[in-house]
Amino acid sequence: MILIIDGINRHRYSRVLDEMFALRARVFGDRLGWDVDIVDGKEIDQFDALDPAYVVGLNDAGRVVSCVRALQTTGPHMLSDVFSDILDGEPPLRSATLWESTRFCVDTEALDRGKSRNSVSYATCELMAASLEYAQNSGITDIVTVIDPIMNRVLKRSDCAPYDYVGSTKPMGKVSAMAALLDCTDDRIKRIRDFAGIEGNVFVDEATAEALADPETVAEGVAPTPKAGESEAQRARRKAQLEEYCIDQLLDASTREELATAKRLADMLFDKKMIERKISHLADC
Amino acid sequence: MSVVDLSKVPFPENNLRLFLDETCERHELDFAAYAGVNPIAQSVHGFVNYPDEWQTRYVEKGYQHKDPALLLARRSIGPVDWQGLRKAPAFQTIFRDAREFGIAEQGLTIPVRGPFGDIGLFSVTRDCPDAEWALLKTKVLSELQSAAVRLHDSVVRSHALTRQLTHPSLSAREVEILQWIAAGKSQQDVADILSISNRTVEVHLRSIRTKLSALTTAQAVGRAIGLGLICPD
Repeated sequence: MILIIDGINRHRYSRVLDEMFALRARVFGDRLGWDVDIVDGKEIDQFDALDPAYVVGLNDAGRVVSCVRALQTTGPHMLSDVFSDILDGEPPLRSATLWESTRFCVDTEALDRGKSRNSVSYATCELMAASLEYAQNSGITDIVTVIDPIMNRVLKRSDCAPYDYVGSTKPMGKVSAMAALLDCTDDRIKRIRDFAGIEGNVFVDEATAEALADPETVAEGVAPTPKAGESEAQRARRKAQLEEYCIDQLLDASTREELATAKRLADMLFDKKMIERKISHLADC
Repeated sequence: MSVVDLSKVPFPENNLRLFLDETCERHELDFAAYAGVNPIAQSVHGFVNYPDEWQTRYVEKGYQHKDPALLLARRSIGPVDWQGLRKAPAFQTIFRDAREFGIAEQGLTIPVRGPFGDIGLFSVTRDCPDAEWALLKTKVLSELQSAAVRLHDSVVRSHALTRQLTHPSLSAREVEILQWIAAGKSQQDVADILSISNRTVEVHLRSIRTKLSALTTAQAVGRAIGLGLICPD
């Protein structure tokens, strides 16, 4: 499932963002050996301070397994600055309908081989399809993406070969980097979805987005203040939805770790009076 | 910072109010508005084609300081649909007021980011049901994105210092493509000549038009010749 985090909602997702920055540190620092700054196990650069949009892939237990960052090409972005080498000193493309995507990565340690829902291939395609859909829904026609040769091969194998490249491939750390062009068209999105067998909406619904957010800072044992204008019936429905979500998470957990995470979430929501019943024991039967 | 109403001051080369009216007409919209912040000129610019009475009320009430459409959209990279703001109390207050002036709550704000930390917010509205709005959005959003950037760039470039800093610079590939277009070649011809895809030519032409603030490729050719970026054929 995919969550979009941007400047509007980022204050609610510090847990998800921290996991994402840690994943980026493992991929770009450790595995690819790029010259990136890692502090406290997290890779964060100056572009993260510019309110970019992050497209984040999470597994069913709510753990970050993939991510990519998007910026407009009309303003400051990586190709206009730190990746200018790739463009051989040429000025970058600048267009109202072109976004730049950078730091595209998946967690190869948490995911399996093969093509199951929990595989590297599925997570890559889901993230790619979601980024293209998010851009397309924003009126964007094309994406210029900075990738390494491995990701380039993955794209080609997933029936999502870039339609062209700008600049040239340049050495960067243990591998090299290049800037590829992708069109945000129905045709490309369909090809990726078909390749990985992705069906339906990949973006999280409102209840799941709520459950993934940081716990609200409320006094112990005190129910969160009801939102203005929310009726009793709406509150009850929201509680029921949250509870249903927790039950799904508990029952669908396939590893010990996923189960523990799901239990923690259920207990926490119960403590905060956001769900009616204590349900973490349900999965033990 | 206070708001400078650009529709009331003479503006070089551009009639901004006219631009808003034309954008509305072309895309079946009711109203359009622009607000921009230029940190180099240290100014906030705004102009709208809303009814004058609503403009006055908006500024009198100081809505620009609490309008979530403006405050939130500047932190987004994608357009912000006002449907997502309906729960915000400030939005309710402003739009209960706006309805009296015939302004619907169906709208969106496109954020534009420029190279110097300059930000532009281009908003449009249309009084119609949700389903119709969704259809309209899909149809016109790409063109509205281009309109937003063109509008923002022309406002930013109206300031002498920023204009000096934003001299458009084309890449060798962009120059090459535009030179062939100036020589009368079609987009497909250029793709064939340079052995690149039609879409590669298209994405470069979009970039050229954005850099030169041109509405059409023909206008971009004219401006590029004027700036000495390409040679007249």
